[in-house]
Amino acid sequence: MNSAQSAFSLEGKTILVTGASSGLGQQIAWSCAQRGARLVITGRDAGRLQETFERLEGTGHKQVQAELTDAADREALVKASGTVNGVVHSTGKQMLSPIRQLTEQLMTEMYNVNFLAPVMLTQQLLRANAVAQQGSIVFLLSISAHIGTPGVGPYSAMKSALLGIIRCLAREQAKRRIRVNGISPSVVPTPLWGGIGEHLEPQRARHPLDLGTPEDVANGAVYLLSDASRWVTGTSLVMDGGVVL
Amino acid sequence: MSAVDPFSLAGKRVLVTGASSGIGRQIAISSAQMGAQLVITARNAERLEETARALPGEGHQSVVADLSKEADIDRVVAGAGNLNGVVHAAGMARLAPFRMINRAQLDEQFSANTFAPILLTKGLLAKKRIEPNGSIVFISAIASHMGPVATGVYSATKGALLGAMRSLGLEVVKQGIRANCIAPNYVRTPMLDGLSRGGGGIDVGLDQTPLGMGEPEDVAYAAVFFLSDASRWITRNYFIIDGGLTVAADIYA
Repeated sequence: MNSAQSAFSLEGKTILVTGASSGLGQQIAWSCAQRGARLVITGRDAGRLQETFERLEGTGHKQVQAELTDAADREALVKASGTVNGVVHSTGKQMLSPIRQLTEQLMTEMYNVNFLAPVMLTQQLLRANAVAQQGSIVFLLSISAHIGTPGVGPYSAMKSALLGIIRCLAREQAKRRIRVNGISPSVVPTPLWGGIGEHLEPQRARHPLDLGTPEDVANGAVYLLSDASRWVTGTSLVMDGGVVL
Repeated sequence: MSAVDPFSLAGKRVLVTGASSGIGRQIAISSAQMGAQLVITARNAERLEETARALPGEGHQSVVADLSKEADIDRVVAGAGNLNGVVHAAGMARLAPFRMINRAQLDEQFSANTFAPILLTKGLLAKKRIEPNGSIVFISAIASHMGPVATGVYSATKGALLGAMRSLGLEVVKQGIRANCIAPNYVRTPMLDGLSRGGGGIDVGLDQTPLGMGEPEDVAYAAVFFLSDASRWITRNYFIIDGGLTVAADIYA
């Protein structure tokens, strides 16, 4: 490997991927393993996590079943992970509600899953000194962190809130050269979007480069995890297939 | 790697301007390392030849050209062949406090930093030189957000690229061509050395950059990402790579 190729490699790196039992997290785990990383994957569904695990290229990977809204589960995950060079927070849940109809219960759930779990997992990892120097922390956001869409308020707010964490944490961890970034995809057919189907046709029409694939998002994650992006911090990589209003 | 490497540039022909030094030179070298066939251009024949010798692989091409001259743009377009990628890395910076700005400085820097990339892109599109799924990358600068002292002209020339890129991206997406902008903080290059030598104790914000000074490689790897199929779904993006400098500033305010 020449210097450019090794900059884009993940060999010798251990990467923790949450939400790895389906959708974007699953593909991110597979793509990282393909580029040589050792993976620690976590998800709620043991059966589907096992499916992800079985298709990881290479050896030395680990799987940890965990409910990340639970502090004890997060602690167990941090213990099992050991030192990691990268973290990708891919857990997420979409619940639509116009603000006028919003309930405290729905908002609390969105907060617990989309904000509190990734933020406190990050806190526990840092507290345990489990993120290596020059490591990379990546939060899966959404285009909705940057734009307004009717009915998407609760989700949009939690993803925007992570932008605030990204910026402040980027500055806090710069002395250890740990980088903190987001990825903000538009529509990628995954279980979160109800999978592939006719319900996505209006969305498809708005995306000149078609809807995204989990591979597209995973490639963005690979770039942000690799040393190729060692000077990138505090940003979020928007990927949207050239979406038009 | 088991599957086809999405970050590879093998089989892609990439035009890089400003390839005789600094960011352009490194983008050419890193792209060649990732397998691309390069067409490199710059004004200085000798230094362009040095870059050409540093490129791994074969089939590269050098064109000495002054992109502030339309005839030279036409010559680059005519000789470039069909391209899968273009990186507009040629650029210049001259410091001047606002009250000292004159028309000649405006003409010189807009010509090099703004008009040349726009007119070269126009020429390539008019001659259908950019293949479907091709990638056009502009190199802007976060100076246009931070506005360091005495960079009024430079910051204006770089800021203009954002609007140009956004409109271009919309127009060429029908052919699957992507257009993106990389906006770097200052990295260690001859251009920066020149600014420092200019005296005046210019403050380019390096002290405030959380990750310290960047290297040309950092910008080059971002360019590789935007040229490669790994960024297939990313267009009209404005990508800041600055070691965290703008994180502390509300650049959208």
